[in-house]
Formats: sequence, structure tokens, C-alpha cells
Amino acid sequence: MSNWKTLLLRIGEKGPEYGTSSDFKDHIETCFGVIRREIERSGDQVSPYLLQCAEQLPHKIPLYGTLIGLLNLENEDFVRKIVESVQTNFQVALDSGNCNSIRILLRFMTSLLCSKVIQPASLIVVFETLLSSAATTVDEEKGNPSWQAQADFYVICILSSLPWGGAELAEQVPDEIERVLVGIQAYLSIRKHSSSSGLNFFLKGESENSLSEKDFVEDLWDRTQSLASNGWKLDSVPRPHLSFEAQLVAGKFHELRPIKCMEPPSPPSDLSGENIGKQKHDALMRYPQRIRRLNIFPANKTEDVQPIDRFVVEEYLLDVLLYLNGCRKECASYMANLPVPFRYEYLMAETLFSQILLLPQPPFKTLYYTLVIMDLCKALPGAFPAVVAGAVRALFEKISDLDMESRTRLILWFSHHLSNFQFIWPWEEWAYVLDLPKWAPKRVFVQEVLQREVRLSYWDKIKQSIENASALEELLPAKAAPAYKYSLEEGKEKTEEHQLSAELNRKVKEKQSARDMMSWIEETIYPVHGFEVTLTVVIQTLLEIGSKSFTHMVTVLERYGQVFGKLCPDNDKQVMLLSQVSAYWKNNAQMTAVAMDRMMGYRLVSNQAIVRWVFSPENVDQFHVSDQPWEILGNALNKTYNRISDLRKDISNITKNVLVAEKASANARAELEAAESKLSLVEGEPVLGENPGKMKRLKSTVEKTGEAEVSLRESLEAKEALLNRALSETEALLLLLFQSFSAVLKERLPEPTKARSLEDLKPEDENSSAMEVDTENENPKKRSEIGEREQWCLSTLGYLTAFTRQYANEIWPHMEKLKLEVFSGEDVHPLFLQAIFSALQIPLQ
Amino acid sequence: MASLFKEQAKLSAYRDRRFSGTQEEFEEALRTSSTVYIGNVSFYTTEEQIYELFSRAGEIKKIIMGLDKNTKTPCGFCFVLFYSREDTEDAVKYISGTILDDRPIRVDFDWGFQEGRQWGRGRSGGQVRDEYRTDYDPDILFSGYGKLVQKELEAQRQLVDYGTGSLGGSYPAPAPSNYERRAGPRGGGGYGQGGSNRHGRGGDFHRKRQRDDDRYGRDNSRRNSDHETRRDTDQDMRPEKNPRFRESGDSDDDGEDDRKRS
Repeated sequence: MSNWKTLLLRIGEKGPEYGTSSDFKDHIETCFGVIRREIERSGDQVSPYLLQCAEQLPHKIPLYGTLIGLLNLENEDFVRKIVESVQTNFQVALDSGNCNSIRILLRFMTSLLCSKVIQPASLIVVFETLLSSAATTVDEEKGNPSWQAQADFYVICILSSLPWGGAELAEQVPDEIERVLVGIQAYLSIRKHSSSSGLNFFLKGESENSLSEKDFVEDLWDRTQSLASNGWKLDSVPRPHLSFEAQLVAGKFHELRPIKCMEPPSPPSDLSGENIGKQKHDALMRYPQRIRRLNIFPANKTEDVQPIDRFVVEEYLLDVLLYLNGCRKECASYMANLPVPFRYEYLMAETLFSQILLLPQPPFKTLYYTLVIMDLCKALPGAFPAVVAGAVRALFEKISDLDMESRTRLILWFSHHLSNFQFIWPWEEWAYVLDLPKWAPKRVFVQEVLQREVRLSYWDKIKQSIENASALEELLPAKAAPAYKYSLEEGKEKTEEHQLSAELNRKVKEKQSARDMMSWIEETIYPVHGFEVTLTVVIQTLLEIGSKSFTHMVTVLERYGQVFGKLCPDNDKQVMLLSQVSAYWKNNAQMTAVAMDRMMGYRLVSNQAIVRWVFSPENVDQFHVSDQPWEILGNALNKTYNRISDLRKDISNITKNVLVAEKASANARAELEAAESKLSLVEGEPVLGENPGKMKRLKSTVEKTGEAEVSLRESLEAKEALLNRALSETEALLLLLFQSFSAVLKERLPEPTKARSLEDLKPEDENSSAMEVDTENENPKKRSEIGEREQWCLSTLGYLTAFTRQYANEIWPHMEKLKLEVFSGEDVHPLFLQAIFSALQIPLQ
Repeated sequence: MASLFKEQAKLSAYRDRRFSGTQEEFEEALRTSSTVYIGNVSFYTTEEQIYELFSRAGEIKKIIMGLDKNTKTPCGFCFVLFYSREDTEDAVKYISGTILDDRPIRVDFDWGFQEGRQWGRGRSGGQVRDEYRTDYDPDILFSGYGKLVQKELEAQRQLVDYGTGSLGGSYPAPAPSNYERRAGPRGGGGYGQGGSNRHGRGGDFHRKRQRDDDRYGRDNSRRNSDHETRRDTDQDMRPEKNPRFRESGDSDDDGEDDRKRS
């Protein structure tokens, strides 16, 4: 990398580029000295790279802003072009709804104002345009209040750029900025408080009325007000331009052109609840809330910083996570070395965990945050591991209130994290969970973490890792082989079934074809022994043959899957098949799940059969004591969903290709026509084939491109047909899923009059513990224990909410049908509906 | 997303000698592949452990363990095939350099598995120094006593034998290899697949040529592999192999034209 690029990239960092100095002023001067010369030499390259740095390393924006301010003193033209690019990019971002670009570029412009590059009044115009768009959107008559998410986002962008230039704005254009703030206050009074009860990490106690809680915009407004009342002074944003103030005042301002905001879509013509709900959902998908604050540490532990400083640090961290995703070393190093003068380990942990647990889903896979936490533990070995452990303890204490989806992610993260640190954990602290009933959320949590640890490692290793709490061995999964019925051990009785199994085994070894095997089964076993024995022998034997590894199992299914398919052509029989699989792999949750997953992939069992099996009595009884049925249900939904997304992706690709092919074919035709007409115009040449070679070539191109177009269109039609079929399969699946949930819940939930909210399911004296923040002085065991049936209801409702929320996108299009068939009627339990509606963020009447 | 720090040439530093196309084609294969190569794996690590870890990046299509030609047991590398490219990228980004079975594994894009590539290509060589090895070396993590306990535990585990069992024949003998002397499964130096610390057996020096196995001989296609090889060996119009979710009414649908690479 050339020297000037490295200097731009590494500005503000400790490292070889800037020698021993860690003073921002020195860095800016050094960098400025090199860049001003570089502009002469390769001016065209400097500006895009500089912008790229500012956009992707937003925590250094004040440094880049100051640098540009200095360049402005010498080379107005260069800076004018930069400002123009920023504006163009900003408009493109607005037009395409690119949230991150909009947010960062507005911040960058604010910073350019500090270094006297941008005229303050023209930035105010930008703010006011955004604000007026927001106000129009939430106006019932002129706008479309379902699209409030966009309006909120615009206002958040304004507020969140103020830490970078509030002081300058207040100094230079005090009346105008005041007008903007008044405008924001007015906006706050007309917008609706956004209730996000379905997206909370924790089940809220009644004492915490969700209406009194501030939503993100209201909260940021509070923080901004306190910043304003503090004279716009904050610690988390460096102000390097102050060191150059004397020079910078000589700079010439550049003006910003007016911008245009995206118009929200028009409100649905039919103002039914479904249509509005669907639009709201779409808006939230486009403008998702970046963070939901997770307050897990007691106030005396977290860093004592101004409210706005907390916000800024969160922004820094989220932006590093976003822009340095995939750059492992840089990501960890920037996270650990933010340009702030205070410590922020607790804040960093809360931010990271808030992302892992974020609902409906975080921007990245849990795997990514897992990696970042590992790397930070290694980068800050003295400080961070203890904070992470503290976060785990705090979350563990609240595990019974944690959302089911978040809880599952926590289990996956924690087991994976420990697997990278030799599985060391003070398990003795949690040994007491053995005294709790087997459905106690803490106990189930420990058990599921251990289960995942064993999957990542091996039984003996995990057994060894819990040595200091060896009683917890009881919660380890069984250490046992598959439950094979027909092993030919010495001294064991050999039944006729044993012989059949041995015969089957021999046929596999001889590589008999599936068809031959099927006719043997149909002729020899089925007529004599009946369906159940036949199924047991076949499943047991084939699974045993494939038991050695994942690949062995896949090979068996690949070769003999048809045998299962033939034996179990309908859902009823497939449910029996699944029970057999579960019986064979009863000691191995992972293989049970994997086998069922593959069988569904081969369509040996349908997704509906899996739902029915999951809701069969043997599993329903496990809903609150084990994650296994939920894992299998989740896999089946996930696979169904992935298939739809695959098809959608294919269709969008083919559609693009069709357009290209259309163009190519039209071009070829036009070229041919042009050639034909051209020839006819040639005078004195009676023969048309002046250049028969060329004509032939053109004709063949027309033919070829035409064929290509037709064949693409055909494959597009084929894919669309597949998608339609997949969507109707999904509808049937969703109906069955919600009906199944509704039925099991109805059987077990208390009378609607006795249980109107989830709180009614919890032990009575627990209301007092809703306020417990400081658990140190309290004995955790003292809390009253929840009854088995109540916990079953809470777990099942929790998963109902989790699945509904996860697949909300796929559920909305089928809402009418679902309402008609499952969500209405007198015998539908209100808590069942509440679980679904909160997940879809539909307000309950 | 982050383009500032991406080193362009970093797709893979290794060039598999079995890849018969040009460098550009090789890079294109890496850019579009949904296969990863995983190195520095413990010999005892099972497919199920790999499944558990890698399925956190996305649905897994297939796992192929790298096997010792002679013992038919794992020898320290494997391939994982995903259904989607995005998941493949995430596996490389987020799993490479992390610990599996106490070893920092490396995960790289691979140009596509072909029958034959599961066999170790030579005698055991030294382990390539992993990118993150210096930071996260297991020897640093395990000091003295812990390391001993570790080894004792390891010794209790069993290597999965892929050579025997009722499915015998699903793992055919490896085709004769011209690469025996090369260090790793991917040729081009440095990819040793076995420090003796991982298996407690000495290296293998089996060089006897084995009979050509026709069924798996036609693997010269440099295109992705799995698909094409099957086309060659299987009858046409067979339902998709290792489907994520097969079409209903399967055998009527080919449903795989789209999987073909262009």
C-alpha cells in the first residue's frame, strides 16, 4: 500500500505510521503534509480513498474532517469536489434507503461544518428537509403513519449527528439549531410511541408498564437534551479541529444543495388491521432499530458516563462491527481502542450481548459476535474476560425471563465460547440447579449448554470440565451408543427379527438395489410381520448401518431412502417413521435432529409430518425440560424457509438474465434489420447478398439469442411454478403449526379468566422480585419456584412467539387465512393470541 | 462491506496442482465456490463435531473427511460443502483460526471437491503454521499438567474407521496418486496433514500403486466437481444429491439446472 494511503488509513492510531506520537494534532499535520503533495501527483485517487476511510471508519470522522478543512485552505477545488461527492452519495443513499450511509454521511457533513468546510445554514436546510419529511410521513392526512419507522430513522440521524457538531451549530447558527430542536420536539408530540413488547429481551413484570418506557427516539431525544443543557460538551467525540481553529477560520465555505427524501409508500387502500400491520412490518424491516439496550450490569459496575457518551460509544462499536466484519484483527483492535478518554469494557460487553440477543434478528450471525468476543478476550486479557463472565452470570440470573429466541442464541454462543477457552467455567457456582425441578429454566439452561458442549467436543472431555461440580454430570446427555435392537452379541437372544435384520444387513453389504430390497421387504417381511415390525426392522437396521458418521447416514439415505419412502408414503406413517428414528437415536440429540433434517431434505418425511411428530404426546411432555423438540421443529421451519429464499434468489437472478437476454436478442434483431435495409438501399447492386457471410452470421445470432431468451423465460416460469407450490406448502405448514400450538396450549393453559397475562402464570410473590436489580444481597434460591404446568405454558408460549417473530415475513402474506382458521373463534385462548400478536407487533385490542 | 483491509490476493495462497485450469479460472472457482477446506483438524475430530460447528454458519450439504489412504481413518483435514455462498464466506470469516477440539483450525475457500481429493496425498509432513497460530497456539493455552491430561483423554478416543462396515465400498480405494510425495492434500507445499502429535502413529509410507478404480477415475473436470462427477457416473435425470430440500414429486423434476455453474 502506498505511503499516503497507509497514513490516511492509520491516522489516529498508535503504530509505526505515526511514530511515537499519539497526539491527534501531530497525526493530522503529518498526514496533511503528505496528502497535499499527493493531490498534485495523483489527485483523482486521493478523494475516493479519503471518503472510503471516513465512511468505513466513522469513529475517525473528526480527524478526516479536520484534514479536509486544512486542505480546503490550500485547494478549494479539491475540497469542493469532495463535498460534491458526499452530497451525491448522500442523495443516492436516501433514494435507496441505505440506512448506514445516510447516518454516517450526515455525521460526516456535520463534522465538515466544524472544520469550516460546509456552510452551517445549508446543513440546517438538510436537517429541516429530513425533519419535514418525517413530520409529513406521520401525518394521518398527508402521509402514511404506518411508515413511521422511516420518519423515526430520519430524526434519529439528525439527533445522532449532533454530538459531532452541536457546539459549533449552537455557536454559529443558534437560532436555526434551536428551530430544528423545536421541530424535533414537535415531531415527538405527533408521532406514536412505538411499543415493541414483542421485541423485548425480557418478559416484563407488570410493575414495569411498557407504555411508560421510552422508545429509542424518545430516549435519544432525552440524551440530546441533556447534552444541550451541558453546553454540547461530551467526552466521546474528539475535537481535533480546535487545535487548528486559527487557521481553519480562513477557509471558504461550500454550500450543500437541497436534498430529496424518500416518499413513503401510500397507505393501503383497505385500512384493515392486516394491511396496516403488514406495512408497519415492511417499514421496520427497511429501517430496523440498530440496538436495543441491554442493561445487565448493576449501575455501580458500569462506567459512569454521560447519557450521550454511552450512545456515541454504542455507535462506534456497532459501526466497527458493521464495517470491519470479516477483518478480524482490525475489528478487535478498533473495538478495544476507541478514541474515548474513559473505560468502556462493561458498555462494550452490554453492546455485544445486545447484538447477540437482538430481536427479531441482529445484522450478523451469532458466530460473528462469538468470534469478536473471543478476540476481545485475547486482546484485553486483563479486563474483558471477567466482564464477559459477569455478563453471563447476570443473564443467567434473569434466564427465566429471557426471550426464548435470545436464550437459544445465548446457549449457542456460550457453549461455543467455552469451547475456545478449554471449557473452563466455575460450574460449582451453578451446581445448585440440581436442587431445582427439572423444568426450572436455570437448570434447563445448564443442561442445554452442556449438551452443546458435548456436541462440539466429546463426552469425557466435558465430564472432565465439570469436575469441580461433578454432580452436574446428571445433566450431561447420556453417554451411550444408539439403541440398536438387533445387535448380535454373544449370549443375547436372537429373535426372528434379528434374523431379518441380519439378512437386510447382508443385502446392503452386497449392494443390492433399493428396488430389490423393497420387493424382498414387501414379499417376505410385510405380509408375515405387519407394518410395525417391518418398519422397526428396516429403520433400525438401516440407521445402524449408517450410524458411524454423518456421511455414512447420508450414504444410506441416498441409496435406500426410497425404501423408507415406499414404506411410509403418507404423513401418518411418516410420523411413525420419525418416532422410530427418535427411538434409535434416543441417546444422541444431535443425530436425531440431523437424521430428521436429512430425511426431510430427501422428502422421505414431510415438514408437516415433523410438526405432527413434534406435537405428539411424547414430545409435548418435553417442551419445558428439553430443547430437542424445538430444535427439530426449528430445523424443519428453517429448511422450508431456506428453500423459499433459494427460489426467490434464483428467480431474481433469472429475471435479470432475462432482461439481458431480451436486450441481446432485440439488439441482434435490430442489427439484422439494419443490415437488411442497408443492403436494399445500395444502388447498382441487384444482388441482395452483398455480404452473405455477414447476413448469415447475423441471422444465426438472432436465432441463438432468441433461443436463449425463450429458454430463460421457460426456466423462469418453471421456477415461479415451484415457488408457488412452495408457498402453498408453506401455508399448509403454518396452518398446521399454529393449530398444533393452539391445541396443546388450550389443553394446559388455565381458564382465560384466570390467566390474562403471562404474569398470571408466575408464582404470586414474584412480583416483588421484578425490581430486584441487586441480587448480591438476596439468596437466589429463595425465589418461589414455578410449577411444572406454568413453566410448560411459559416455555411453549415463548417458543410460539419466537417462531412467529422469526418467520413474520412469511406469515404476513397468509394472515387472512390464519385469522380465519386459527386466530379467531371463541375457544381461542387469549394468551395464545397474545403470543402471536406481540411477535408480529400487532397491538392487542 | 469492509473493503479497506481486504487484501485482494488473499482468496487462498495455495494453488492446488490438481486444478487444471488457469490461475484466473482457479480464482474464479474460489470466488464462487461453496466448499471450504478445513485444515489442522485433530485426527479424532468427528464429522458430527464439524457439523455442529459449521452448521452455525449455515445448512451443510456434505462433509468429506480427509482420510489416510492406508488406514482409512481421518488424517487431519476435511471439506465442508454448503448450500449457499454467503454461508461459505461466513464459515471462512468467522471460523478460521478458532478452536475445534483444542486445535486452531484453518478454514479456506476451496475450488470444489472432487472424488479422490479426500485421500491424503503423501506421507505425513509438518503442519503448516497457521495464520493465527502464533497468537492462539494450543501449547500456550495448555501448560504442563493440562496438556498431559489432554493427551490421556485424547488417547481414549477412537478414530473413526471409514474402511469397514456394511457400507463397505462406499469408500473406494484411492486412485493412484502422482502426488504422494507432496506434503498436503492440496498439493502446493505447506499443507501437511499430520503432525504425529495428533495420532500417535508414525507417518505412513505406503507407496504401492493401487489398481485403478474406474468408477472414480473420471475426475478431471475442473468444474465443480460434485455435480459434474455425478453427471458422469450416475444415470441422467436422477434426483438431486444431498438436497437442501428436494422438490416434491422429485424424480420428475430435475431441479438442478440452476445449480450448474455458468
